[in-house]
Amino acid sequence: MKKDWIRKAVGGLSLTSALFIFQACYGTPQDLAPDILIEGQVRSLSSGLPIQGIKVSVTDNMQYQMTDNEGKFSFYTEMLTGLTINFQDIDSLQNGHYMDKDTVLTNLSGNVYLDIALQEK
Amino acid sequence: MLSTLKKYSFRKFRDSEIKNHELNYLFWECTTRCNLNCLHCGSDCSKDSLHNDMPVEDFLMAIDTIKKIPKNFTVVFTGGEPLLRKDIEYCGKELRKRGFRWSMVTNGHLYDKERHISLLNAGMGALTISLDGLIESHNWLRNNSHSFDKLMNAIELAASSSRLNFDIVTCVNQKNINELDKIRELLISKNVKAWRLFTIIPIGRAASNDNLLLTDDQFLELMEFINQHRKTKEIDIKFSCEGYVGRYESKVRDTSFFCRAGINIGSILIDGSISACPNIDRSFVQGNIYKDNFFKVWENKFHPFRNRIWTKTGKCELCDSYKDCNGNGFHNWHGEKKNVLVCHKEKIENSICKNVI
Repeated sequence: MKKDWIRKAVGGLSLTSALFIFQACYGTPQDLAPDILIEGQVRSLSSGLPIQGIKVSVTDNMQYQMTDNEGKFSFYTEMLTGLTINFQDIDSLQNGHYMDKDTVLTNLSGNVYLDIALQEK
Repeated sequence: MLSTLKKYSFRKFRDSEIKNHELNYLFWECTTRCNLNCLHCGSDCSKDSLHNDMPVEDFLMAIDTIKKIPKNFTVVFTGGEPLLRKDIEYCGKELRKRGFRWSMVTNGHLYDKERHISLLNAGMGALTISLDGLIESHNWLRNNSHSFDKLMNAIELAASSSRLNFDIVTCVNQKNINELDKIRELLISKNVKAWRLFTIIPIGRAASNDNLLLTDDQFLELMEFINQHRKTKEIDIKFSCEGYVGRYESKVRDTSFFCRAGINIGSILIDGSISACPNIDRSFVQGNIYKDNFFKVWENKFHPFRNRIWTKTGKCELCDSYKDCNGNGFHNWHGEKKNVLVCHKEKIENSICKNVI
């Protein structure tokens, strides 16, 4: 802690900004943005069994992931004050036929685990 | 007076950074395979690499020697072309599980919508893509007639993501020095927010191609271009941290020159070698993850990086800027290391148009 304070004080005296957020010559910018891990499992409301092939996506964002054979999904996305996660059955009758569902997440402060049950059509 | 105080404080700051040598930035040379055959490649990469890709588990074994993650720590996947590996996302997720952030440098050739989404899903937070000119000059340097078109698609995808901290890098050379204004306009039209400009140093394949190296006058022109356009706000333009640029120091970058190789920047190279930036002469390797504890090597070795007095030789020996430059970028010391490969300050001073600013 003391070391960090001294570092900032001496760095600040040189009157330059971004002293601590550097990038290597041939490297990328540093990643300082807050993000969030959204993971969970999608099951059938009636049978309780996991559903494969459900498209899990974030509204207003091109990110999505398909649930695996255990109905599981897991992805990082930008931390916003609120997020709407969409669950869509897009493979027609394959793996069953389910209603879409939206889940609204608010007051996000850390990673989220979602247990989702979809109703059969 | 203010300038002297600023310089003095910065030297003290640099000394304290060297003493602390906190690892903030780790390159992983995850492959030396490449889908392009660029004229300027510093690492002589090719489609058929002599080395196998390093298994993710081997890299994670080295990473796991870091017991306390420093603040602002980033793992940067580099190559070769990282996107040739199918397990980048798996590795990225494993890093995130351990609390590390990660990012990637790519030529953009394989960066399509599907890969963009899977990389974001795996927690990638920053990205650098290379653009080396308008269509003709870019494809010339990249040695591939489709590179520019594929790259434009990659840039549009990356720029569309508010999650990614994303920038474009351009290696300025004889073929594109006169296109900088148009490249700038192109990047602004693609909603790119940050652009870093490099010169090519004469190593790897670039060592034998004079078309790639800027004359002293052209280098000054580049400094002037950056200086002029940093005053506008449409896009953040800067010169890379490749070298000390004398009187342009405060005009072309956010901070004064400070080569952090081996001070805050480390690397794990394709064969397990432990070093700093991947373009540094391999004779500076400090250990190997297959026989050494990575973090112990980082903590206890790296002496030539942290005490650079040995660079006070050749043209650096009597240079009055040595205290601020410290031997220029570490990647400028190759072979017998009797002289610095490129002195950026000298290029500016040798230019015919000395009195631009």
